[in-house]
Amino acid sequence: MELAYYPGCSLKQSSALYDHQTRLVFDRLGVQLKEIEDWNCCGATSAGKTDDFLAMAMPARNLGIAARSGLAEMVIPCSACYSRTLVAQHYLEAHPNLKDQINAGFAKPVNGPVKISSILEVLLSLHDSGTLAGTLAYRPKALKPVCYYGCMLTRFPFSVPVPDDIENPLGMERILEALGIHPIDWNCKTSCCGASAAVTDPAVAHALMAKILSDALARNANCLVTTCPMCQMNLDAYQDAVCQAHNISERLPVFFITEVVGMAMGLDTKQLEIEKHFINGTDLFKELEPYESEQ
Amino acid sequence: MTASAIEVAPEVASPLITEVMERSGQNLLACYQCRRCAGACSVGDETGFFTPDRLIRSILIGDRQTALNNELIWKCVSCYTCGIRCPNGIQTGRITETLKKMAKEAHQTSPHPRVVHFHDAFVGSGVRWGRVNETELMAVYEMKNTAADIKKMDFAAVVAEVTRQLKLAMAMFRLGRMHFGFLSAKGRGEIKRLRKKAKTTTH
Repeated sequence: MELAYYPGCSLKQSSALYDHQTRLVFDRLGVQLKEIEDWNCCGATSAGKTDDFLAMAMPARNLGIAARSGLAEMVIPCSACYSRTLVAQHYLEAHPNLKDQINAGFAKPVNGPVKISSILEVLLSLHDSGTLAGTLAYRPKALKPVCYYGCMLTRFPFSVPVPDDIENPLGMERILEALGIHPIDWNCKTSCCGASAAVTDPAVAHALMAKILSDALARNANCLVTTCPMCQMNLDAYQDAVCQAHNISERLPVFFITEVVGMAMGLDTKQLEIEKHFINGTDLFKELEPYESEQ
Repeated sequence: MTASAIEVAPEVASPLITEVMERSGQNLLACYQCRRCAGACSVGDETGFFTPDRLIRSILIGDRQTALNNELIWKCVSCYTCGIRCPNGIQTGRITETLKKMAKEAHQTSPHPRVVHFHDAFVGSGVRWGRVNETELMAVYEMKNTAADIKKMDFAAVVAEVTRQLKLAMAMFRLGRMHFGFLSAKGRGEIKRLRKKAKTTTH
């Protein structure tokens, strides 16, 4: 299977490990990722807050490039890029004048229905087809995770079809259960980590992250699993500062879903670059038992 | 004589409501003040209880000054929780985004200049190179902050901010999460030209 792939700026820089893991995991799943050529920044939430035109034009150019690639589906692991691209696609369909205005400036105009998928949607379809189970070798038995979705997988600034329950998404839980891991139910799966407020307004972001970490700890989780590089960076890089400000003594590693899946496939912590986390979580992957499918 | 609790200014309200509704795409008139958004607001504790319902009400009564000048429009993290909880489907996150732009156009200075600096630096970087370069983004952002802090003679703030960012940068470097290459998209001119054209046709 071939999929168009939009990594986005973060996966080429501070979250390069997520790009790397995504490629390794999809390779094992027999999915060829075709990075779309000469993609540009999606504008993230910053464009939505400063310039309505750019908020549509920036992701639109990538939609045009994806359409020209001839592939039917594009996977976008970063939640912010996924949200902005999906929203632009639906907004432009509903506003044909704006679409024409934008298309007039592109060598590769937006046309044709390219399905925009999050990494979770692709993993779920590979789970449903039985492909995922066939790649599993080990069960990381020490993991007691909570699944953290954040804002952008289920809440959008424009009406788009949402692939999971808005208040209680369960897609990530389904993937982890398929690996033989039992995630813990909790209150903060769709809470906000503060996003750019971690940079511009640390006190606010720290209060939001303290609520998330406190709830995870109260449920006896020993790690968080996420798909969003912004959430991962915030909860990992600022966790010491958050916990110091809010009197939390424990620390929780924050994993990308790709590293948990990758470890279950028999890749190791070095290959997956799991040591690149601020809160070290490699110890949690020391206990591996052979994977046995629960029929 | 008792003063009225709310002053309504219909002559101001009407054009204000129309502008916010058109630009945000949200039907403010559907709000019946049930305050589910207030209970949902991620930053509701941080805005002096100025929650999404208050913001909508300030627009509906024509209080332009409050609508463009409040903690919520600058502290809103665009988590969009208010919008999914609203029984009438009003996405107030889109309204705060609209009011940020209107405040800028009205030359209102933000009480939280760092928020403005960050989003301007982010979009600036994304448009300039076609891709956001994180080190350049943070350098531009901190230059804007430093210039503003020095103007206020707040040198302690400059030192605190630089220390905080250097600490993060060093930790990222140690973990191999600092990127030294340079990202760009060759076709970035397409977006720059479109934006220029859009600006000249709408203004």
